[in-house]
Amino acid sequence: MENQCSLRNGPEPSEFRQKLKIVMMVGMLALGLLLVRLWYLQVIKGDELRQRSENNAVRFRTIQPLRGLIMDRNGMVLVDNRPSFDILYMPGRGQNHDRVLERIKTIYKTKSLESSIDPSLFKAIRPYLPVRLEKNVGMEKVALIETNALDLPGVYVDITPVRLYLDGEMIAPIIGYTGEISKEELEKSAGEYSSGDILGKAGLERVLDAHIRGRRGAELVEVNVFGKEIKNLGSIDPVPGANVVLTIDANLQKAAWEAFHGLAGSAVVLNPQNGAILAMVSAPSYDPNVFNSGIPFEEWQKLLSNPLNPLSNRSISGQYPPGSTYKLVVAAAALEEGIVTPETKIFCNGTFDLGNRTYRCWKREGHGSVDLHRALVVSCDVYFYTLGKMLGVDKIAHYARMFGFGELTGIDLHHERKGLVPTKEWKQSRLREPWHMGETISISIGQGFNLSTPLQLASAYSALANGGTLWRPRLVERIEWPDNKIFGQYPPVKNGELQLNKQTIAFLQKALHAAVNSPGGTGGAARIPHVEVCGKTGTSQVIALPPTEKLIRDRKISAFHKDHALFIGFAPLKNPEIVVAVIAEHAGSGGAVAAPIAKKILQAYFDGKSATKRPDFALRRLSDGEDPEEKQKSVPYR
Amino acid sequence: MIFVKFDRRIFKHFDWTLLALVLSICGIGILNIYSTGASVIDAPVAPYIKQIQWVLLGLLFMIIAFLIDYRVINQFAYIIYGASILLLLVVAVFGYASHGAQRWLDLGVVTIQPSEMMKLTLIIALARYFDDHKSMEPYRLRELFIPFLIVMLPFALILKQPDLGTGLMLLMICSSMVIFVGMNWKSMLIALAGVLSLVPIMWQFLKDYQKERLLTFLYPENDPLGAGYHILQSIIAIGSGGFFGKGYLQGSQTQLKFLPEQQTDFVFSVFAEEWGFIGGLILVMLFMSLMIWGFKIALHSKDLLGTILAFGITVLIVWQVFINMGMVLGLVPVVGIPLPFLSYGGSAMVSLLAAIGLLMNVSVRRFILQR
Repeated sequence: MENQCSLRNGPEPSEFRQKLKIVMMVGMLALGLLLVRLWYLQVIKGDELRQRSENNAVRFRTIQPLRGLIMDRNGMVLVDNRPSFDILYMPGRGQNHDRVLERIKTIYKTKSLESSIDPSLFKAIRPYLPVRLEKNVGMEKVALIETNALDLPGVYVDITPVRLYLDGEMIAPIIGYTGEISKEELEKSAGEYSSGDILGKAGLERVLDAHIRGRRGAELVEVNVFGKEIKNLGSIDPVPGANVVLTIDANLQKAAWEAFHGLAGSAVVLNPQNGAILAMVSAPSYDPNVFNSGIPFEEWQKLLSNPLNPLSNRSISGQYPPGSTYKLVVAAAALEEGIVTPETKIFCNGTFDLGNRTYRCWKREGHGSVDLHRALVVSCDVYFYTLGKMLGVDKIAHYARMFGFGELTGIDLHHERKGLVPTKEWKQSRLREPWHMGETISISIGQGFNLSTPLQLASAYSALANGGTLWRPRLVERIEWPDNKIFGQYPPVKNGELQLNKQTIAFLQKALHAAVNSPGGTGGAARIPHVEVCGKTGTSQVIALPPTEKLIRDRKISAFHKDHALFIGFAPLKNPEIVVAVIAEHAGSGGAVAAPIAKKILQAYFDGKSATKRPDFALRRLSDGEDPEEKQKSVPYR
Repeated sequence: MIFVKFDRRIFKHFDWTLLALVLSICGIGILNIYSTGASVIDAPVAPYIKQIQWVLLGLLFMIIAFLIDYRVINQFAYIIYGASILLLLVVAVFGYASHGAQRWLDLGVVTIQPSEMMKLTLIIALARYFDDHKSMEPYRLRELFIPFLIVMLPFALILKQPDLGTGLMLLMICSSMVIFVGMNWKSMLIALAGVLSLVPIMWQFLKDYQKERLLTFLYPENDPLGAGYHILQSIIAIGSGGFFGKGYLQGSQTQLKFLPEQQTDFVFSVFAEEWGFIGGLILVMLFMSLMIWGFKIALHSKDLLGTILAFGITVLIVWQVFINMGMVLGLVPVVGIPLPFLSYGGSAMVSLLAAIGLLMNVSVRRFILQR
C-alpha cells in the first residue's frame, strides 16, 4: 500500500473532529425529535388514540364495483349482477367462538337449515380479523342471522355483487366466468388489482376485464369491536364497469344451442358482410354461475376430467379435419391453376388407383361421368383425388392459406388455435419424413393432416359468399358507459382478400347452391322453402377404416370412433346475410346430421327476421347493418 | 497490495460493542416480524423464519466485509460500483415487477433488490473518489462533477423503477458525504440553487401516486381515504400503544391489519403499538448509540479513507432511521424507506450487515495501521 501516511495530503484531522461533533449533535437532535414526537403521540395523546383504536376503530373497507353488463346485439341482457349474501364473523377478544358456532347451528335448525360452516375456520381464528363463515347464502339464512343479531355477537351479513349468467350454459364458452383473484394473478398484476377482487377468468370476461370490471370504491367507517358499523366517515363510490354489446343475437344463439341437443360439437354463425359473429355454440358446455362463490373442488375436477371437455370453446380451439367441406378449396385451386374447366368431366367408377393402393369414393358404385359442378354437388371423392394428384400438396396449401386456413382469425378470445395446412416442407421439418403422393390424395378431400377450426371454416365460406373478402370474425360490437355513451366501437377489420377470378367465385357459389337445392345434392337436408340456401356437407373420418367395413361401421364402432359430421353453408345466394358452420362430433355423416342442424339455425334466422320489423328506434340503434349510415361506416372497402 | 492477511490483532481488538448493538436491534426486528406475521396464516415459510435466514446470511457477508482490509476493498471500489450499476440495468430490462414497480431480480432461489445494495456501493465508490482526490481546500463544483455522475447514474435508474424513496436516499447520502469532506460555500449555494430549480422539472417525472403522497403530507385532510389513511392508521397504532404498550402480539391495529405495509415501511408502528413509549425509547436509544459509535469510528480512523467510509455508513443508517420513523410518526412524507435491521426484506438486511462489517473493519484496523 503506497498511502501509508494517508492523511498527509488531506485535510487536518482536527477539522473532521469539529465536523463530526456537529454532525453528531445534529443526529442526536434529529433522533431526539423522534422521541419527542413519540412522547406526544403515546403519552400526551395516548388515551385519546387508544380510545379510537380499542373501542371504535376506523376501518377502511373496499366496495366492489358492479361489473359491466354484457348484452346481445339487440340489447338483451346476457350477463347481469346479483347480490351475494355472505355470513361474516368478527371474533372479538374474550368471545367463545365455539358457542357462537353452536348458536348459529341451533338457529338454523329452527327452520331446518343445514350450516355449511367449516369448523376448521375456527381453529386459526385471530381477534378482530373477520372470517367469512358462509358464502352466497339464501334469504332465509340472512333473515335468521339478522333477527337473531343480539344472540350472535360478531356475526353479520356482508353483501357483494356477483355475476348472474342468464341462460349461462348456452353461451359460457364465449363469455367465460369470473372468480376471486388468485395469488399468482395478484403478483403478476402490478398493482391494478388487490386481494379479494373479482376478475374475469376465461372468455370475454377475461379479455375485456379491464373495461368491464369498473373501479373499486372505498369507505371509511367507524366500527365497534364487533365489526358493526357505527358511523360512515366518508366514501368514494365505486364506478361500475362499462357495458358490452356483443354481435351475438341471443335468439339465434339459443336456436343453435338447442339444435345441438345431446350432441357434442360446435356451430359458428356469422354475418359474411362484416365478420360479426351472430352465434357461437360449443357443446357440451358448463354453468358459469357455479364459479361465482368459488367452485367446489369435486365439481371442478368433474369438469376437468370430463372427456368431452366442456370448458373448451370448440369453435376456436377445436381442430378437426374439414372433410369434404375442403373440396371448395381444391376446386378453387384447380380452376385458378387452369387444371380443369367447369366442363371437364372425369369418370368415377368408385375407385381411384395410385401405385398399388386403391382409394375409394364414398359412393361405392361410383358417380359415373361428372363435371366439376356435379362433383361438388354430389361430393365425388374420385374427382377430387384426381385434382389433388394433378395439383400437388403445396398448390393446395397455397389456396388453403388464401382462405385463411392455418392462420389465426384474430378473434378477440384467448386460446384460438391455428389448425394445420400441411405442405411438403412442413412434413420434412416436423416429422423428418418425405411427402408421399398418397397423402396428397387424402388432403384433397380434407382428410389426412388437415386440421381447421369451425371458425376458420365459417370465415372461409364467408369470404366465398361475399365475393372474396376475409373479414376478421368479431364478437364485440361496442363498449359503452352505463349512461350509454360510447366508450369504444369495433368496426369490421379485413383479414385479407381471395385472389380468385370473379367467375371462379360465382361458379363455386352456384355449385354450393346446387349441392343443397338440386336432386342428388348432399346438402338437401338444409333446404328451406323460399330461401336460396347454399352449402357443402362433410364427413370427416376420425380413424382410417377400410371402405369394406363402411356399411357396418355404424353399429360396430364405439361412439368416439364415429365420423364427425360437418355442414358449412350460407344464405341467400345473392347478397348473403348469414354463414353457418356446423360440426357435430362423432355423430355420423354431414348430410344426415350436420345439415339438419344448420337448417334449424338458418330457419331461426329467417323466421326471426320476418317477425321483427324493426319495432322501435331504441332497438334499431342497438342492431347494426340496417342503418345506411352505419353500414357505410362498418364496410368501408365495399 | 495487502491481501487477506489474518492478523491476530483484528480479533484482539474486535469491536464487540458494535456487534452487540446491531444484534440487539436485529433481535428486536425478528420478534417484531413474528408479531406482524402472527395473523398471516397461509404463507409457505413464516416471514420471521425468512428474516432469521437473512440475518444469518447477512452475518456471513459481515464477516467477509470485516476480514478483507478495507484498503483492499477500496481498490475494487469502482468494479463493485460497476457491478451494482449492471445489476440495476438488468433489473430495468429483466426485472420482476410487483406492486407497480420493477425493483426485483428473480434468481430462482431468491429475489434480490439491487437498489438496496446500491446504497452501500455508492458509499464505497464515493470514498474511493475522495480518497484519490485529497485536497486541502474545500472542493469546488468542477471537482465534484465525477461524484455527481457517480450518484446520478444509479439515481436515474432507481427513479425509473420507480422508487422515489431509495433514489432520494442516494442523493442524501451523497450530499452528506460531500458536505462532510468539505465543499466551497459558493459552490454549495450554486448547487442548492440548481437543485431547487430542478424541482419543478422533477415533479413532472414523478408518478401520480408519488405526487399524491407528497401532496397528502402537505394537506392530509384532503385525502382521508387514500394515502392519508396510512399515516392516520399509523398514528393511531403508535398512539394507542401508550406508555407501556399493548403487549407483545396484542396490538389490535396490527393484528387487525389496519396498518398497511406493516412488515416493511410501517414496521415501527407495530413495534410502538405493542411495546409503547418504553419500547420506542429503547429502540431509538439503541440507534442513537449505534450512530455515536459509528461517528467515533470515523473520528478515530487512522486514514482519510476509513473516516469517509465510516461516516458514509453511519450517515446511511441515521438517515434511514430518521426518515422511516419520521414517516410513520407523521413528521415526513410517506416515501418507501425501510427501517434498518427491522423491516422485512433480504437485500436490505444483507447489505446493511455487510456495511456494519465494513464499519468494524475500519474500527479494528486503527489498532493495526500506523500513522
